[in-house]
Amino acid sequence: MNILDRLKSAFKAWRKPRPNYPFAFLFRKFQGVLELNNAILERMAEMGAKLSGDYVFDKHYIEEATEHLGDLVQKLIYELNLLSDQKYIELYSAFQRIQTGIQREVAGERWVPDVPYILPLTAVNRDLSEETGAKSANLGEVKNAMGIAVADGFAITTRAFHDMLEHCKLAPAIDEVSRFIKEVGDDWTETNETRLDELTRQIRARLTAGWVPEPLTGALHRAVYDLTREARKDQLFFAVRSSATGEDSEYTFAGQHESLLNVPSEQLLEAYCQVVASAYTPGAWRYRVSKGFREQEMAMAVCCQVMVPARASGVLYTMDPIAPERDAVLVSAVWGLGGPLVAGAVQGDSYRVDRTAPHVVRTMKVVQKPRMLKVQPGGGVDWETVPEALQHRSCLSTLQLQELVRTALFIERYYKRAQDIEWAFDENARLLLLQTRPLKLPKELRRDLCRIADVVEAASVLISGKGTVVQRGIATGKVFVVRSDDDLLRFPHGAILVTAQTAPRLARVIRKAGGIITDMGSATGHMATVAREFRVPTVVDTGCATRVLHNGDEITLDATENVIYRGLVPELCYFEMSEEEVFEESLEYRLLRRILRMISPLNVLDRYSATFAPSGCRTIHDITRFVHEKAVEELIRLSTAQSRRRSTAAKRLVMGIPLGLLVIDIDGGTTATEGDRELRPEQMTSTPMRAFLEGLREPGLWGTEPVSVDFGSFMSSVTRTFSTASASPEEIGRNLAVVSREYMNLNLRLGYHFNIIDAYVVENINDNYAYFRFLGGVSEFTRRSRRARLIAEILEREGFRVEVRGDLVVGRIKKLNQEAMKTRMKLLGALVAYTRQLDVQLESDDQLSEFVEDFERRSAVLKPINLQERGRQP
Amino acid sequence: MSDESKTRILVLDDEPIVCKRLKPALEKAGFEVETFTRSAKAMERVAEQKFNIVITDLKMEGVDGIQFLTRVKEQSPATEVIVITGFATMDTAKESYQKGVFDFIAKPFKLAAILEVVKKAEQRVRAAQA
Repeated sequence: MNILDRLKSAFKAWRKPRPNYPFAFLFRKFQGVLELNNAILERMAEMGAKLSGDYVFDKHYIEEATEHLGDLVQKLIYELNLLSDQKYIELYSAFQRIQTGIQREVAGERWVPDVPYILPLTAVNRDLSEETGAKSANLGEVKNAMGIAVADGFAITTRAFHDMLEHCKLAPAIDEVSRFIKEVGDDWTETNETRLDELTRQIRARLTAGWVPEPLTGALHRAVYDLTREARKDQLFFAVRSSATGEDSEYTFAGQHESLLNVPSEQLLEAYCQVVASAYTPGAWRYRVSKGFREQEMAMAVCCQVMVPARASGVLYTMDPIAPERDAVLVSAVWGLGGPLVAGAVQGDSYRVDRTAPHVVRTMKVVQKPRMLKVQPGGGVDWETVPEALQHRSCLSTLQLQELVRTALFIERYYKRAQDIEWAFDENARLLLLQTRPLKLPKELRRDLCRIADVVEAASVLISGKGTVVQRGIATGKVFVVRSDDDLLRFPHGAILVTAQTAPRLARVIRKAGGIITDMGSATGHMATVAREFRVPTVVDTGCATRVLHNGDEITLDATENVIYRGLVPELCYFEMSEEEVFEESLEYRLLRRILRMISPLNVLDRYSATFAPSGCRTIHDITRFVHEKAVEELIRLSTAQSRRRSTAAKRLVMGIPLGLLVIDIDGGTTATEGDRELRPEQMTSTPMRAFLEGLREPGLWGTEPVSVDFGSFMSSVTRTFSTASASPEEIGRNLAVVSREYMNLNLRLGYHFNIIDAYVVENINDNYAYFRFLGGVSEFTRRSRRARLIAEILEREGFRVEVRGDLVVGRIKKLNQEAMKTRMKLLGALVAYTRQLDVQLESDDQLSEFVEDFERRSAVLKPINLQERGRQP
Repeated sequence: MSDESKTRILVLDDEPIVCKRLKPALEKAGFEVETFTRSAKAMERVAEQKFNIVITDLKMEGVDGIQFLTRVKEQSPATEVIVITGFATMDTAKESYQKGVFDFIAKPFKLAAILEVVKKAEQRVRAAQA
């Protein structure tokens, strides 16, 4: 007879409490929920791990993984509804909502529910480049993700554009031009040119005739009103610039579309129409065709920013496109607005600055600048004469140059691409970013880099393969060792931060750091999160960084391969920047990341909050979390409600330690009698549970001292769970054990961590098994927590087959004899007790082994000596 | 720019992302790499240039991966073929091993994992040359 049959026969003895489903059936459903729950979490963790950059995956993988996940969730909801008598039908629609979004993304439809006509720049990022165009998307990313100053403003989206075309009924006219251009081919005679001009002029005339969809007018007024109020001004003036799809990404569309400067807010609508119409000039149209754009792909979003009355402006290249090996940043600058410089109409001052900190200015060429373009009080721009004293003066001071270069390199590192940047210093000498886009480097650079392997081989290796990569990337620069808070204050821009231990306080210099290397520390802590956010190449836990690296040493950190070289190897930087595609910018990466946003964040944590409901579930993780909580609750409710008269009602286990555990005995698992509300450990007769409790209660393992931590809210949640005073079964229901003579199923929630233990222990070796699952809930689950690794290591030592995926640890063991199984159950008890508060104490991998040893010592008393495990007991 | 002493690798996968990620990783490890997303183009290329190692997907539009690797092996038996695929079945695995495939890697895979296999294949290529 197998285990399931045994359980079934055990449950048969138990009378049907409800006419429709026997408890045995419901309990099997409950187990089914747990299994599905586990499968979903494993799949989620596995998908999240693909973003680390270690894996090569393609779109098939994303399709297959999301489909599989969807199937599992569908089943999960079905099982919970069986268990709860269809109480959570609403979950299906919550799931459908999420699933529709995921499926649309996978199918390639960008799914931004109800794209508004206008998005403030504060709400724009790279993921919205289809809606706002790349120009606005880049500005939004720089402003919001990198915290760089960008003039306030908003994007008028492609939705506005599409509605505008429809409103003006332009589709036939556009089709006609497309057909015409196709027919003409390369035969651009004067007649054909004239014809194209005529045709497109009609389209432009229609667009600028003032037929604007009503809702767009309203949205524009609101956006201007909000900005004006925020700026505390009576009137604002705007720079209105094209941000068409495809523009500023691979193709610059340089000079093809119109930009209007210093537009008074009341003329914004006309300016918008004019910029949109500029997409239909013969030049712009033929540019599109020559670059292989299909006309359907064309969508003109527009970027409106509050006009910066610039004192000086200009252009910056983070690399010299002609001679990248010179390792210099090129800057050119003029007084006033930068437009004429960009257009090549005037000559400006030019500077060549070291890419490597401290960014020494190598050459400076100051020219005479007699005229400058300035904003005019009533709107618009005009030429003015530069005051005599300034005509021969450099537009930028050395300090300004350095600030500019640092900002530019910060952006370059983030995008892993050389950048072409337009900037301005305003009247208060504040630096503002106007535009950033990838700089095209010559193809020869790529060819020269064929020798990258030789360069790398010739470089002298200081440290290799030690520790954990937190963020991929390359950094070159001088070492600065941080030993104290004073060192932090003196941390120079662009240096490589070397320190003994990761710590949250390091986060404040991360923006300045070219790279980070530590001796010890966590890949999941606050510092690591910030390093990832800004994509600062970081390796932690090398064990030797402060010993090997000294202040002022010039080094190259290759956090992609995890090697540190002596000296500067800029070729590695160039190589990274010349890769055909930045992984973080690839379609597949962005797709998976967008999909995971609908899958992995956990929003429904607090079961007492109003959002703890199917309608509050916004992600797949939310649904799984909700279902698990409700499944446990249902099982308790069923057993309590159905069996008040019987010994099988849920009982509270009373022991020295505050665990708040409810026990349902389904067959001979306890000696408790009818009507008892409480249960003592001595009354536990379930073989696995009894052993488990013994380990759990072993003195020296369940630390009663509260751990002092800086993670206050986390700990308070733990203690809340432990406070048993006046807790009703409903409230502490999250901790539940279902037991029989030879079986236990335990659902444990300690703080935000979940444990599930499922075990069967009898005489017959072949039936015996134990299953242990741990899931850390607080930290981002894809990141490996040390606690998870500690648990995994201990389980492995004890002979469990262990799988670790992110914060999820699953251990399985089977077919040991009864005594050996009992020992394992004791150890599991000890493990739960020992590790329940360890997260915050575990600061490095070195400590990990110390803690493993410590556990072994403390738990040794639970293990018999010389036990024969596989065979029959002596 | 081409370096005769370098091991030449051809990568064929109809998913551009796979080529884009493998190329720089292999180049940095010192290999000479060409990538193709169309099997017909790759077929033409192997007819004119001998590669030491070929990495190919199995299921693609047009020429099937099995056909491709068969052709590669016919033209240059010394070339080591590594198969990467997202739809691994026992049958396809068996068939490719029968065709003399060096190793079989299921997608998605870790960059480190494929580099390891490529290095082993390179050792075998070098040993055969010696």
